[in-house]
Parts: sequence; C-alpha cells; structure tokens
Amino acid sequence: MESRTPTLAPAEAWQPLPARDWTPEAARHLLRRTGFSARPELVAQAAAAALPEVVAHLFTPSPPLPEPFALRKLAEEFRAFEAEGRPDSEAERRRRRREFQDKARAAFEDFGIAWLQRAADPKYSAYEKFVLFLQDIFVVAFQKVKNPVLLHAHQQLLREHGTAAYPELCKRVSRSPAMVQYLDLQQSRVEHPNENFARELLELFTLGEGNYSEDDIKEAARAFTGYRQRGGEFAFVRRQHDTGRKTIFGRTGAFDGDGVIDLIFDQPAAGRFLPRELVRFYLTDRPLPDEHLEAFAAQWRRDDYDTGKLLRRFFTSRLFFDPAFRGAMIKSPIHYYLGLVQDLDLDVAPFPRLTLSALRQMGQTFFNPPNVRGWVGGRTWINSTTLAARRQLVEWLFTPLDESKLNGDEMVELVAARADGHARFNVEDATLDSLRAMEPEVAAQTVIDRGFGAAPPAELRAAMAEQFAEAFRGGAGNERARALLGALLLSPHYQLC
Amino acid sequence: MNNPHTLLPSTRREFLRTGARGIGLLAFSRFAPDFLTSTALAGAPPPESDRSILVLIQLAGGNDGLNTLVPYADDHYHRLRPTIGLKTSDVLRIDDHHGLHPSLAPFREMLDAGSLGVVQNVGYPNPNRSHFRSTEIWETASESDDYLPSGWLGRFFDNQCGGTPATAPGATATPSTTPTPSDIPVGIHASNEVPPSFLGENPHNIFGLSRGALRPRHAGAARLVEGLLAAEPAASAGAGADDNLSFLQHTMLDALATEKRIQRVLGGMKPDGAYPGDPFANALRGVAELIAARLPTRVYFVSLGGFDTHGNQLGTHAQLLKQLADGMAAFQKDLTRRGLADQVLTMTFSEFGRRPSENESKGTDHGTAAPLFVMGSRLKAGLHGTAPSLDVGANRDLAFSTDFRRVYATVLDRWLGCDARAVLGASFKPVEFL
Repeated sequence: MESRTPTLAPAEAWQPLPARDWTPEAARHLLRRTGFSARPELVAQAAAAALPEVVAHLFTPSPPLPEPFALRKLAEEFRAFEAEGRPDSEAERRRRRREFQDKARAAFEDFGIAWLQRAADPKYSAYEKFVLFLQDIFVVAFQKVKNPVLLHAHQQLLREHGTAAYPELCKRVSRSPAMVQYLDLQQSRVEHPNENFARELLELFTLGEGNYSEDDIKEAARAFTGYRQRGGEFAFVRRQHDTGRKTIFGRTGAFDGDGVIDLIFDQPAAGRFLPRELVRFYLTDRPLPDEHLEAFAAQWRRDDYDTGKLLRRFFTSRLFFDPAFRGAMIKSPIHYYLGLVQDLDLDVAPFPRLTLSALRQMGQTFFNPPNVRGWVGGRTWINSTTLAARRQLVEWLFTPLDESKLNGDEMVELVAARADGHARFNVEDATLDSLRAMEPEVAAQTVIDRGFGAAPPAELRAAMAEQFAEAFRGGAGNERARALLGALLLSPHYQLC
Repeated sequence: MNNPHTLLPSTRREFLRTGARGIGLLAFSRFAPDFLTSTALAGAPPPESDRSILVLIQLAGGNDGLNTLVPYADDHYHRLRPTIGLKTSDVLRIDDHHGLHPSLAPFREMLDAGSLGVVQNVGYPNPNRSHFRSTEIWETASESDDYLPSGWLGRFFDNQCGGTPATAPGATATPSTTPTPSDIPVGIHASNEVPPSFLGENPHNIFGLSRGALRPRHAGAARLVEGLLAAEPAASAGAGADDNLSFLQHTMLDALATEKRIQRVLGGMKPDGAYPGDPFANALRGVAELIAARLPTRVYFVSLGGFDTHGNQLGTHAQLLKQLADGMAAFQKDLTRRGLADQVLTMTFSEFGRRPSENESKGTDHGTAAPLFVMGSRLKAGLHGTAPSLDVGANRDLAFSTDFRRVYATVLDRWLGCDARAVLGASFKPVEFL
C-alpha cells in the first residue's frame, strides 16, 4: 500500500503537540486510539489536564490480572499430575490427557472473560490494549501451547515489562515458557538446533523480513539451544546448549541467546521495527514515509530503546494528532466489542459461549491469532462474513438475556455477576429514554460525539435527526429507537476510530 | 419491523425497486452511478451458465512434495529419507519412476480417467522459506525480492470487473468480459481471512463462507443501515475513493445484498453421503452448490491447513492427503453428476515444498519447489513439467523447474480467458495441461 504523506515534515512530526491544539476533539482521538471509546466524562477530564500527564497516566502499567479460579486450580492439578508420574496403562494416560484438555479449555475461556472484563474497565483500557499490541507482536497461541497457565504468565510478562527497554523485553520473552513451547525451543538442542524461534525473533519481533540472512537464522538458532520449559517455569539446560562460536551479522563470538539479542539491537533495522508496528497498530494502516519513520527511530535508539519513552513521544507528537489520520482506522473486533460495552454502559457478559464466540466470528479469537504473524488488521477485519458477525453482536446487545437458554455454569456466573452488580448485558430502556428526552438533532449529535470516529457529512447528520424524530414520534415504545441505535452502531462511522 | 415490505431486499436491484425512499437517498449516494448504470437502469446481464470457474485449494503450511508425488525409483529419495521415505511397495505407481502417496488413491483413479494433472517441481527463483513471505509471493505472484500490494486473482478481478485498470507491473489492462454486477461476489472463500490472492487494486465484493455465518436471522437493523449508508453523499469522499470509510460503505452494502443471495442457495443444503463429513469437504460441497445455483462467481478459494510437518510427519501427512484427495474426488464426482464438470478447473497450491532430507524429528523443514495438482474434465491429464533432481546434499533444497507464474498464466489465458500479461506483468510460457 502506498504511504500517505503527512502534512508535517519529518523533523516537525515528532515534536510535542502545542498546548493550544490539545482540544476535546484531540482528547477523543487519543482516548479512542489508546483505548476503546471516548466517554464524555473522561474526555472532559483529559482535556482539562496536560497532554504529557494524560499519556503518562494511560501507560502506567496495570496490576497483574488475578488468575481466575479455574486457572489456579488447573495449575495445581498440573503440578499434582506431574508429581504422580505417568499412569501405567495407555487408556488411563489418554483419559487423563483428555480430562486435562477439557479443564484447560474451560480455564482458558475464564481467562479470556477475565481479561475482557479488565480491559473494559476504562481505568485499565489503554494499558491492556497496549498489552494486546505486544501480544500481537510476541505471538503465542492457545492452539499450540494448550496450557492457559503459560499464556496467563506470558501476558503478565508483557504487562509487567512492556514499557521497559525493548531488548530487555525480548530477552524476557525468549524465556517465556509459553514462547519456548510455541516456537519449538523446547526441542532445540545442540546437535539439532530448531530454527523456528530464531527466525521469528528476527522476522517478527525485531528486524523484519529482508534484514537478515538465512545463515544468520541458522547461527542464531544455535545460541538459543537448551532453552526449556519445565512445569511452567523456564529452565536452561546447559548440556543442550551450543557454546561454540557463531557468526551473526558478520560478527563472530561464542554468543548466547541474550548475546544474539544484543547484536540484533546494533542493527539499524531494529530501531525502525517497533515504531513501525506502533504506527500500524495505533495510527494508520498505511506505512509512513521512510524519513518520518527514521526520525522517530533515531530518537528511540538514542533513548536506548526505552519503550515507555517511545510511547510518550508517540502519543504526544504532532504527527499522532494530524487530522489526516483521525477517524480513519477500522476497529478490530476486540475494539469494536469493548467500545460497544463502554459506549453503552454495559458489562462484559461472563459467558464464553456468547462473548468469546462473538469475537471469534468477527475474526479475532482471544489468544489464538491465525498464525505467528498475528492479526493483519485494517481492512482484513472486514468482509461480508465478519460484518454479519458484527451485526449479530449488536443485535445480541439489544436483546434481553434469555435465562432459560443458559446452562448450569452460565447460571452460576449470572448469579455471581448479579451479586456484584455487574449484570448489565443488554441495552436497557433507560439508555433509549435518555435519548428520547433530547431534541432529535441533539440525540444525533450525542451519538456522533460519543461514537463516531469521523464527523459525518451534513446529509447523514440530517438523515439521522430525521430518523430520530420518526423513532420518537408517538407512543410506540422504544422498538424503533432501538433499531435505529443498532443501525448507527453498525454504520461505517461507528466502525472507524 | 415485521412488515414484509420492510424486510431487507436481497439485491441492490430489489432495494431500488422496493424502496421509494431508498431510491431517493441513493440518488445522491456515491454508489449510485456505478450500480444504477450497471444493474438497475442498464439491466443486469443474465448470469452466464457457461462461464469457466476456478477453484483454488491452498495447502497451508508447506506441503511435502516428495512424499506426495514420490520418485520411488530414485535411490537418492531413499537415501534422503531413511525413516519417513515411503516404501516402493506402498506407493501408487504412475510410471517407472513416480508414484502417488498411498492416501491419494482417488487421485490415481482420476489420472487414469483423464481428469487429473500433476505439474511437477513448481517454484520460483531465490526461494524464501518464511511461511508468510513465501505465501505472499505465491498470492501476489511477485518476484522473490519484489513486493506487490495486490493478489493475482485480485488483479484478475480488477481486469474483469472494469473500474480503474490494474497496476500490475508494466501492465495495461482492458476489461475483457461483461462486468459482474456488484452485488455478486467475484470471489468466494472458505477460510478465516480474505485470501490475499483476492485483494485487488480496487475493492471487490468478496464473500466468506464460514460455519454459523449463514444462519438466517431477522434483518431488523439492516434496512436502516442501508438507508444510512445511502445517505452518504459523494462529497464526503474527502480522502478519495481508497479510504477506509468508503471501503466500509461499499463492503457493507454489497455484503447485505450478497448474504441473502447465498443464504437462499445454501440454506436448504441437506447432508450428502457422497462427501466426507470434514470441514474441508463441506466447504467444497458448498462451492458445488453455489456453482450449481448458477451464481456468476468465477473464483472460489478453499484452504486446508496443517501441512507444516516439522515432526513425526508420516501419520499427519497421510491424514491430510487423504482428506485432500477424498474431498476433491467427491467434489469432482458431484460436478460431473450435475453436468458442471466442464465448467470447473480445480488447482492446488502451497507456499513451498519441504526439504528433501528428513530432519531429526522424523519430519521435514521448510523447502522450495513441489508439485501441484490440477483437476477437471477438460485438461490434459498426467504428469507435466520435469521432475527435480534429487542429487542434493543433506539439508540442501530442490531447484525448481517450472515457475509458478507459468501455471497462473496458463490458467488465466487458457481457462479464465484473461490476458495473463495484464495480471502478471510479464509473459510466461504456458504449461501444457490446458
């Protein structure tokens, strides 16, 4: 895709946004892009503070996500299972394995729900979305890792160290048990190094395709031999590790894994990788011109690859607020869902069968990207199938929960959610009544301010007001208003941010 | 909301006919010129029942070519694969040198029946061993060191469907047949994502078949969505027709109309014992239904994954090839039974073959060239191209002998009736399977 030249020159692009440009409109842009929505009270709060403080606040690491009960239990059982040793009969082994898999799946789903609930909390939205961004770089998938305890730990690693220096994060990720499992380091030994991790480290985590040779991969793979995952902990098995001399990027030495990562960050391409990903995830799906990217990369190299500083520079830059980029990104399924939850003041429904499968049908399965590259995003989110799934989601959010269709586990969840006061799973009449109390033009403007990424043209604005007027006419209940609001939430303007 | 006259019309044409309000809004819609002229006013061209159709099957992960088309008589084969090499007595012999994997019995029969061709040793110069990059090269039909923004079938759609000529390298495109009305998908895929092969320079109506997506449901808000979409004036195009807003508008309007159409065909599909019950075969069955329903769509894409066999590959690979051959054979029989076989060409591809020498985990690592299959009633059956030389050292790769773009050129020129040069940007010598 061709790049869109920003109106700013490379040197100006990364300068801080002048205070006079820090308007409520700019605050909406920041909140929608860093989080999932722009709630009026948070927009007002942000606009009243200074931009650097707002950004520093948004990217303060969130506390660990408590392990859901099922996950804790699974971890215990897994340890007990390992301590017991292998059952004698093949049939028993198979039975135990299946039992573990069933429990693992259930725990994985609980983890998914728990994360969505965390991310839906506006206090944590921006940071958890950043964790999602990192998960989309350091991809691991349930499908292969199979043990959700490892995924939970992997996510916590990214959460805890995400804003540290990037090389440091890469080193930690190389020791993440989920990663060791996912990219086959587990099988990599001195006589037969497995190239999978080394390849993705260079291609998908740090340099990008075209910035290394096949030989670099082969040699780097030797340096990561002996990395193991044992009972959910990282272990380094010295006798499986290749201590010999390796030649990588033309430099020769007895490098170990960390040594290879240090070498990587001497490569010019390493400075451009994360900035490019950041731009793609948060700003625009069209690549920036090389000069703009390089100007950003150069500053990051001078900051010793400090990711916290990178984030602060990026989200306070003039470029980030360039009007050319506003309201032009397509929301990911997770963004779309959590945005709806926040915009409509709903709670995440703790039913995997509904919530997680809605995400899957829209094309984004929790912790299960299609492959090691992660989700491509942008326009690939949208096709007739995923649009149908988005529509189904909206219809679901407007339909009262039918308790008779819930199973036993779901009823337990429902009772617990009600006890916590977090059981608002569908749009209630109160939401519609509050719109009804407004003049049609005001109702239209409210929806626009709250949810539309880009300002709609006058014709659409007029059509909306007209529809609202029609929906509120007479005493026909809220049926028509409900359909109208649903339609607006499906409109292209709402699907952009 | 339940009045029959407010139900979602199933085509844009119906939308125009049924909604007086609709036409009012659409009169200033940015879509109006395109689809008013192509369907409502000019009248849609009748679906051509004799259109040639391509069904592309992706073997995702990199299929092990040497254990698919087995050079059983070559000593090198057995030297390179001491444990995962197939026994000479097990392979389904084609000639004195080659045989098929034992899972491919239906393919062996089709070879005799004249409906299967094998193009040997297909690849490209300077092979890339990254799944993503190599898939991208196959899907965009680019040189190994070149990056193209569009897929080869996307550029075919660009050419077929009018609009701005495609910018294939050095190409000047001319629309060669009647444009497809925009509420009919030009390509239908059964895979999780839109295949990059389908992405054109211009947006096209691409439809994804997936389980659960076709459940009929009340289309309550849909009419309103359509009305709102139509209320967008052309003037809002600010950033030009390639921005995400117009992309969404266009895709949504088309999706609403297409979904209805497809639902009508597949909604009544009953189980059919002639197909194996797995998702791959089911997808092919859906494709057969749609073709039988005379949908003017000319390209279908079905993906079968799991071919990345790095370890203990014998069982996995046998299973995958069985799934492939059984599904494809059932599809071909079904088409024949319905009298549609002459219209359809089915072709497989995979991002790369695997390394000739097995690895220490009884699997194979990423390699280069591999054979691909073509299936249909109007092709020259048998082996095409030349076999690779297996006289390679440990951990070395095969040198390809047929460039994959020659296969594409053959399909474009001789099957889809499109100027291959316009799509591929250069001339490639056809392979004589068509």
